[in-house]
Amino acid sequence: MADEKKKKAISRPKAMYPLRARIDEVYQNSIKAVQAGKPTGWCMVNWWEADPIIMAMGIEAVYPENYGAVCAAKGVAQKYLERSDSEGFPSHMCGYARNTIGYTARMNDLGRIPEEAPMGGMPKPLFLLGSGALCDTRFKWFQALGRYLDVPMWTVEMPQPGVREEMMPGAHDRNIKFMVKELRGFIGFLERLFGKKLDWAKLEEISNDIIEMNRIWHETNELRKARPSPMHSRDFWTCMTGCLYPAGDLKVLIKLYNDLYIELKERVDKKIGAIENEKYRMTFAELPPWHSLNIFDTLAERGWNFVVESWAYHPPKPIDLSKVSDPLERIARFTYQWLSGYYQNAMKAKEWWGFFAYPYMDFVKDYQCDGALLHPLITCRTATNHLYLIQDRLMQTMKVPSMIAEGDIVDLKLFDAVDVLRRAETFEESMDHYKEIRRKEGFEW
Amino acid sequence: MTEKTKKGLARVEEIYEDRSKRAIELKEQGKKIIGYLCIYPVIEMLTALDMVPFRIFGDIKEPITKADACLPTVVCPFLRSSLDLGLKGRYNFLEGTVMSHACEVCEKTAHIWKTYIEQKYTFFIDVPHTVHEAAQEHLKGLLEDFRKTLEAFTGKDLSNDKLTKAIKLHNEQRKLVREIYELRKPNPPLISGVETIKLIKSLMSVPVEEGNDILKDVLAELKNRKNAPQKKSIRLLLWGSIIDDASLIEIIENADANLVMDDTCVGTRPYFDDVKLTADPLEGLAYHYLVDIKCPRTFRESEYGETSKNYMKDLSSRFSYLSDYARDWKVDGIILHSLRFCDIHGYEVPAIRDFLDSKGIKSIYLEPDYTESALGPLRTRIEAFIETLG
Repeated sequence: MADEKKKKAISRPKAMYPLRARIDEVYQNSIKAVQAGKPTGWCMVNWWEADPIIMAMGIEAVYPENYGAVCAAKGVAQKYLERSDSEGFPSHMCGYARNTIGYTARMNDLGRIPEEAPMGGMPKPLFLLGSGALCDTRFKWFQALGRYLDVPMWTVEMPQPGVREEMMPGAHDRNIKFMVKELRGFIGFLERLFGKKLDWAKLEEISNDIIEMNRIWHETNELRKARPSPMHSRDFWTCMTGCLYPAGDLKVLIKLYNDLYIELKERVDKKIGAIENEKYRMTFAELPPWHSLNIFDTLAERGWNFVVESWAYHPPKPIDLSKVSDPLERIARFTYQWLSGYYQNAMKAKEWWGFFAYPYMDFVKDYQCDGALLHPLITCRTATNHLYLIQDRLMQTMKVPSMIAEGDIVDLKLFDAVDVLRRAETFEESMDHYKEIRRKEGFEW
Repeated sequence: MTEKTKKGLARVEEIYEDRSKRAIELKEQGKKIIGYLCIYPVIEMLTALDMVPFRIFGDIKEPITKADACLPTVVCPFLRSSLDLGLKGRYNFLEGTVMSHACEVCEKTAHIWKTYIEQKYTFFIDVPHTVHEAAQEHLKGLLEDFRKTLEAFTGKDLSNDKLTKAIKLHNEQRKLVREIYELRKPNPPLISGVETIKLIKSLMSVPVEEGNDILKDVLAELKNRKNAPQKKSIRLLLWGSIIDDASLIEIIENADANLVMDDTCVGTRPYFDDVKLTADPLEGLAYHYLVDIKCPRTFRESEYGETSKNYMKDLSSRFSYLSDYARDWKVDGIILHSLRFCDIHGYEVPAIRDFLDSKGIKSIYLEPDYTESALGPLRTRIEAFIETLG
């Protein structure tokens, strides 16, 4: 019937909705709390290295990276990007950073949150928390905000252990010791800044909750290895926020992640996939075009199920930290596991780019992917550096082809969805071809 | 016959024109030549084991053809060019490489280099991002590991005595380079910007002792030179990301300006502070490479753990050395240069301009893409800038 509502190609888990709503609610509450005078900091995503401390100190954390994605999705980012350009920052820099710089410059002019700012905007912080993880932008961007915000800044250190040198005897413990020392420094900084002491018991509870939440989220994603895969990348990206930017009552979030796990388990048992006809199992790297996520619906109509994605936003592989008595060491080991846990096999395979590139090799094998959609970002070195290497290694080692679609996370002018869809058709022929090659060469899928 | 027959600036020119020639000659004499990318690999440790540190550069005149397949176009074009040369076999004379987390893309280039280019020895130093004491201590630990792998590779003991001796040799080089820069203070300077970059690039191509001899010869030559650079109406300072070719500086000096000072990594950055001689030499090295070298890749606060911040105070703590340079070298204006896609320098530009504006120092920002053809359009902008300073 002409007026019949078209069935959506991606079947989204019901449990995703309350989780998403909770994340939004926590965000709104956070804004209200800050407006009511609760201390706030603008933080880089720090993969749980600093979050438990911030939460235990009773500080609201606001994440401009996440807010960049929000502004892109709500269509207001362009205004902030242009403002950043006019401030003299190069236009090839990180879209999230340019969004924040433009937003902050405008907030500075107005002396208040700009009226067009989605979700209530980001209130002025009392400090900035940069991070040494993954990219230079994570501290350079916040340092650059000094033009508009006379607030102090701390940068948490995070060694990058995905190389052979970090596997030398003693290196692991040295890295943990370094992280712990820096975390102690960070606590001292916050205690001086806010004139109060850290509640260590609260820190203990929060860090344990974060570890548990990530364990459930990890197990949930493990379920996606099933055929058909019960959850699409779109829902991964929707749900990852609760884990990456922990806030609010974590026990509520744990319950919501657990509900999602139960629903997906049921889907797996009943062989219900995220899309009706799973023809191609896909991996996606790295960050998606937030402004054009509907392209995944169109691809789903063609039978493309994105079953795994963006390793950097996946939780760490679970490890037993119950015998680690110092909560700071527990936090450091947990975060370090996120960076190092995905490449334990890399060195054995003589894959020298242990993190970033290697996890996709495990992913493609474990999730039995037919192809990879790689999304180089014109404004992000971090999400782009390794993509050609991934393309090469997936083909060389597993005969899995990749399609490259250039774009940007925030700047919609840099992404051509029509072109991607046009090329998708040809790429299917390539995936069919290599599926046959893999079959002949004795691969499991 | 070796290439060492020429002396002073003639010898510099010779090395600059063919950097690998002397390295290959040394290799034939049994020396191990170890490549290093950027200035964070601790080259004193190579010298201490009688190896030759050889800095890896790109080539703005060479089109990138091989690196496109493994390093995207949206990253540092200098690193892409360097990798391209590596993939084309131009660095096949290297016994191995030492690379570092100088910046994010430098780190990734190290891993790609290792994946695609066969080498007998590699080491990667994950240089921390802050200058905190814990970071210095951490870097020292990484250097301990570096020492172990070097000892295993060479079969030699890398004792503290050897290391201290090497540090002294490199400190001597630093001192001699600073003497060269002193000769850029007169008006006109006794050495041009083009000659200086060629000299520095040459030093990064030969053993430290040989470099020191070159410097002594050049100093003697400059003090008696009859053909000093012509006096121009404007004196400039160049700040920014890597420049490893004299072409851009030629453009500046062919206009009505003398380039008399720089803050770049093929310039003052690796030379303007000595490594402190400490009981444990790794301690002094860790401090030098993390704290002394002023590259925007490192996060610095005006004081450790400061809980209040004042923008101008922050700028002053980060950039006052630049205004000191400008005062001491009597600079009229500063050219800010950041290669396209160089995030660490790119983020710095508005802040550094704020600082220079506050000091009344005029500046211009250039963002070339590391190709020779991109330099042409810059000529007009540079000439216009010089006119505004006149």
